[in-house]
Amino acid sequence: MPTSVTAARQFLTEETASALDEAVAVARRRSHAQTTSLHAVSALLSLPSSTLREACTRARSSAYPSRLQFRALELSVGVSLDRLPSSKSDEDPPISNSLMAAIKRSQASQRRHPESYHLQQLHSSNNSNAIATGCSQAQAILKVELKYLILSILDDPIVSRVFGEAGFRSCDIKLALVRPPVTQVSSRFSRAHCPPIFLCNLTDSVSGRVGYNLLFPGQEDGVDENCKRISEVMAKNSGKSPLLVGVCAIEALRAFTESLTKGKSGILDGDLAGLIVISIEKEINEIVNEGNEEKMGLKLKEVEATLEKCNGSGGGGVVLHFGDLKGLIFDGALGDFVSPLVLRLASLMEVYRRRLWLMGAVDSVEIYRKFCDKFPNVEKDWDLQLLPITSSKSSFDGAYPKSSLMRSFVPFGGLFPTPSDLKSPLSGWNQSIPRCNLCNEKYEQEVDALKKAGSAVSVADQYSENLPSWLRMAAVDTGKGEDVAKTKAGESMLSAKVFGLQKKWNDICQRVHCTPTFTKSDINPSMSQVPIVKGPQFSMDQKQTSNGDLSINESLFPNQSPGRQIHMQTNFLPKSTPSISCTSEGRNMNFHSVLHVDVPSVTQQTDKDVPWFHHPQQSLSSCSGRTPSSFVPPVTTDLKLGTIYASTTQESKTTKSLNHREHLQRFSGSVSTEFDANSEVTSYQFAQSSSCSVPSSGEQFDLGDYKSIKKALAEKVGWQDEAVNSVSQAVSQVRHKYRSFRGINCKGDNWLTFLGPDRVGKKRIASALADVLFGSQECLVSLDLSSQGKLGHPNSIFECKELNRHDEMSRGKTVSDLIAEELRKKPHSVVFLENVDKADYGVQHSLDLAIRTGKFPDSHGREISINNMVLITTSSSITKGNVNVICGNKDVKFPERRILGAKNWQMQILVGSASDDAGKSNYMGVRVTTVKEASTFTSANKRKTRNAVESSELEKTDTGEREHKVPRSCLDLNFPVEEADEEDMGLGLSKSESSESSENWWEELFSQVYKKIHFKPFDFDEVADKIVKEISSQCQRTVGTEVALEIDEEVMVQMLAAAWLSDKKEAIEDWVAEVLGRSLAEAGQKYNLTPQSVLKLVAYKGDVVKEQAPGIRLPAKINLN
Amino acid sequence: MGYNLLDALNVRVVGSGDRYLVLAHGFGTDQSVWQRILPLFTPSYRIILYDLVCAGSVNPDYFDFTRYTTLDPYVDDLFNILKALGVDRCAYVGHSVSAMIGILASIRRPQLFSKLILIGASPRCVFFTVELVLGILIELYGWDIKNAKLWFSRFLNDEDYHGGFEQGEIEKVFSAMEANYEAWVNGFAPLAVGADVPTAVREFSRTLFNMRPDISLFVSRTVFNSDLRGVLGLVRVPCCVIQTSRDVSVPASVADYFRTHLGGRTTVEILRTEGHLPHLTAPALLSQVIRRALSR
Repeated sequence: MPTSVTAARQFLTEETASALDEAVAVARRRSHAQTTSLHAVSALLSLPSSTLREACTRARSSAYPSRLQFRALELSVGVSLDRLPSSKSDEDPPISNSLMAAIKRSQASQRRHPESYHLQQLHSSNNSNAIATGCSQAQAILKVELKYLILSILDDPIVSRVFGEAGFRSCDIKLALVRPPVTQVSSRFSRAHCPPIFLCNLTDSVSGRVGYNLLFPGQEDGVDENCKRISEVMAKNSGKSPLLVGVCAIEALRAFTESLTKGKSGILDGDLAGLIVISIEKEINEIVNEGNEEKMGLKLKEVEATLEKCNGSGGGGVVLHFGDLKGLIFDGALGDFVSPLVLRLASLMEVYRRRLWLMGAVDSVEIYRKFCDKFPNVEKDWDLQLLPITSSKSSFDGAYPKSSLMRSFVPFGGLFPTPSDLKSPLSGWNQSIPRCNLCNEKYEQEVDALKKAGSAVSVADQYSENLPSWLRMAAVDTGKGEDVAKTKAGESMLSAKVFGLQKKWNDICQRVHCTPTFTKSDINPSMSQVPIVKGPQFSMDQKQTSNGDLSINESLFPNQSPGRQIHMQTNFLPKSTPSISCTSEGRNMNFHSVLHVDVPSVTQQTDKDVPWFHHPQQSLSSCSGRTPSSFVPPVTTDLKLGTIYASTTQESKTTKSLNHREHLQRFSGSVSTEFDANSEVTSYQFAQSSSCSVPSSGEQFDLGDYKSIKKALAEKVGWQDEAVNSVSQAVSQVRHKYRSFRGINCKGDNWLTFLGPDRVGKKRIASALADVLFGSQECLVSLDLSSQGKLGHPNSIFECKELNRHDEMSRGKTVSDLIAEELRKKPHSVVFLENVDKADYGVQHSLDLAIRTGKFPDSHGREISINNMVLITTSSSITKGNVNVICGNKDVKFPERRILGAKNWQMQILVGSASDDAGKSNYMGVRVTTVKEASTFTSANKRKTRNAVESSELEKTDTGEREHKVPRSCLDLNFPVEEADEEDMGLGLSKSESSESSENWWEELFSQVYKKIHFKPFDFDEVADKIVKEISSQCQRTVGTEVALEIDEEVMVQMLAAAWLSDKKEAIEDWVAEVLGRSLAEAGQKYNLTPQSVLKLVAYKGDVVKEQAPGIRLPAKINLN
Repeated sequence: MGYNLLDALNVRVVGSGDRYLVLAHGFGTDQSVWQRILPLFTPSYRIILYDLVCAGSVNPDYFDFTRYTTLDPYVDDLFNILKALGVDRCAYVGHSVSAMIGILASIRRPQLFSKLILIGASPRCVFFTVELVLGILIELYGWDIKNAKLWFSRFLNDEDYHGGFEQGEIEKVFSAMEANYEAWVNGFAPLAVGADVPTAVREFSRTLFNMRPDISLFVSRTVFNSDLRGVLGLVRVPCCVIQTSRDVSVPASVADYFRTHLGGRTTVEILRTEGHLPHLTAPALLSQVIRRALSR
């Protein structure tokens, strides 16, 4: 947020303002985006009577021609300025944050130094340029004087670095600025002794100090803080033995003993001067590990001798350093050698008090406590004092000049880092898809051009790098490292660009000149990318790229939707990240974009007015020849809940498959035999997808017609007949209405509300609608308004991936903004807002306005037209008129709430013999058990008990309640204290109130929508019965009739959830037949099953499903114990 | 020291009460950050406010680069202030860096403190400082986020760096940043403040920018190199660790770490708000919790 020039000027005195204008002019000349401190420096140096220049003259060393040094300074400023990114703008470049901060700081320091006005006035006659003073004091705003501004600017690390490169110390310049040039001659004289610091004749140590002082003016060789503290402990009257505690303690100990051994001055003064350090660390190690006490004995004798000597001479002493205390705790296998040592040391301490210090370090207090437990008197005997050490920096001098914290403060003008290994996996693949000759030629031309440009860049780079480096030698020795890094960055950028070009031409080639590419056998590898195994690898690639540059990513995968079908398998990877699908899409894209013109792009190209009232098919025919090159991909941003339904995307649009088929047929004549082999793979996927979409594709796009919509919807959600009916009715009615009265826009007409349970059904209908109306399921914006502010259930079967995506995205944004953003991205879409009744106030407000005005406002007041969208709001709650619908059936074994809590656990088959009641009841077959009580409540034997679920249901109700709470917005500033209080204590009260008011709100909202559609609960019990039956027959087939199988209820819930989510109708049956059947058979082979044995199918808690079975969110294999 | 410490660090004592309460601000802020908290405590406490020497409101000349190389000199400053004021026992509320300072102070002189309240503390301040440094680079110097990252990873790979960062941790910070990319683009201050409270963001930006850049980098380096793990067990003073439910700088696990490792009686309070600066964004809520913690 840079500040405008005029705003900045008002803080400045006239003189300073004119200097700032100069700086702005410099920035404008170079067409830089902002005016920074560097520009200011450049301007200040070029001013006719420059304070800065004058100060530099006084600060510099006279041993060197001033002309040359100033030339160096100008060069180094110029080089740094060259590195700044430029931008075209007619206006004055605004003041950057850093410069603005400098102005503010100088204001503050001016306020602190009122006395210096006097001083300045005294010496203003000496100074060639009179500093405006006095007058500014009277004014309301303290105007910044030039001198103070310069002082502040010199604090900027970038600036002090630039000066450093030219051999100036910014602290010297500051001093020169503050101190008037009274004693010029003498100061010059004294400075003449200093070597010119920017010459190359400096030793390392001096250059080190120079660099250091450049960055931190006023710093002298400091004593390490840790060492100081240690010596404080030792020197105190009592003369305690320090035991350093902390993660960095050992390092600090080492640093201290080293500097003691070196006899460094300043660490130990006074009584402590001349201490001798003796280390017994090695000896202790030997004792503990080898039981070798001999050396220790010798060492201690040596210590004693030394101490005797000290006693005699009356000075000095010994620091006996035993290293890490851990060494003394660890008991060697050879017996206890430590205790005698501890006692021996204690007696030494006793004898040579004030002459002997023990010293050691320990990682953490806990270890020390352990040690104390073993030797309770040790603290007193050894005279120990614990000293917390929290800083690892052992010594600042010497380390600082190399400090990379200050290194390279100058941005790498325009360069951006891209992972250099980016090209390896991807480009390898890229080459496997050749371009046709024409495209290849063009591609190569472009690469050449790029390389030329690139080398030009790097030459320029070298130039700019070389220039300062001779100047820099004296200063910080960072030049080299930086050079290398830069070249690397440059290289990787080049390769990224080349890669991008490859990509581009591949795409163009395959789109435009499809046939030649197609006949090449290389289509093979591209197809083989599909299988699951490759998924993770892709994701890594993707990560690399995404680390590099987001924009690259987008250009890499410009065409997302077409790839969907084939790669969808990868989605079954439980841990697959969104990036997997993205990458594989990118890879498959080439193949697919050949196959068909994708429908969403077509939709986009159609009449912008009310596109969803057109038949995609109509426009399809008109546009089918066009390449979707300009097409911006509809990025699926399914938030939160969207993850649940990732598998639903698998049901591909029928248009697509239709297109595929047609194209395939058309191509099949011309393409080579290899392609036929591939088409098998493809057709497999088609088979999969067509099983859930309309079989005869010709009929489906008979749109506008209620029947066809209904059919399309019913295909997706077979169990919600009535709801499907009403939805299709509503949609076709609205469509009709629009056709007959074009232009008449009844607000709320494009709004639907889905009420009642069956979350999955609702979502699925919404996505089916998106498909029907806008031609793609991608045209769905889905957001769960209740998920704000609460964490998702970990490991839930409903969110195998993208767990935190929503959280990340929503940071710092209100929900309204989030919605608005999505709406902006997809102007033609079905907007699916779940749990509107739980929306926070901001969203309520936005939705209210939206339904009334047809525009959705975000929190910044911008509005997005929603007339081209279909908005579906859902609520799982029951409106007042609708209570009986749900409350009718009370004894549901598996309520939806419970299913929603299903976890994605790995399953396991346990073998037990005759559990609990199996002894008494000699029944066989399959039954479902709860973990706590093994009471059976549903089984193939038609034994039904219902109370088993109740306990767990209660639990669920509880969490359900909690979720009910209206998510609090995070803005607490506006919360008065009392309210917060209430939140804390009287949860119940405030909750009921707020939920009541929000209830009123959404009932009002719902009254305005075009149609309310009630959903029936999904009949989980029926499915459960079916599953049990299925399993039971499977069980009988594989392990025989005499073995009983108990299914843990949690597993049952998991299976139900999976069945609910799965697109295929028979998915669960398939799973039972394949996965469970196989496992049961294995179990049968592995264990000797007797009529008494009971197989138990339980959830293996804590272990999330790693590999999913195709078509359903259940494990691909079941563990046997 | 050559200057009057109480003046230099803008020490103020406000309120009427018989007990002392020290409010110590964190990195990037100054004592003004407690403004909204004060009213609740002035009736019953004498509140000691001061600025850390690195704060923007302190004359930068007082910042001695040779002295403030670890956190201990900051502890000394605190002791000197309390000594000058004649305080022999007080409760201490510290935010971020000051929380670390408080821990160290209570180890050195346990009898001086009746209670430690640590807000947004971290035994290593890892996250906050990484983000802060990057935030400074990005916001103050107008750097690109990528430049900042590159620079930063080089800093970490430097042989002179001994902060005990593992590469994995850094990666985590980076990937968090990556995910938060859009938020980062809008600047560090809104991110650290964490909630859409423009006044708080403005306030934090103000105090953050008041710091002299070289000082702020120096201090963040100091904090970087600090590691309190291992010494937490030496704390005997009862502590209350306050954390917001979502804090960019402090992962949720930190509270537990404190609970298990702090030597004294320790309670953990999770504020149901977000951001690293609850005293700016949720003063009412925070005051409540502090008051409750003090009364225990």
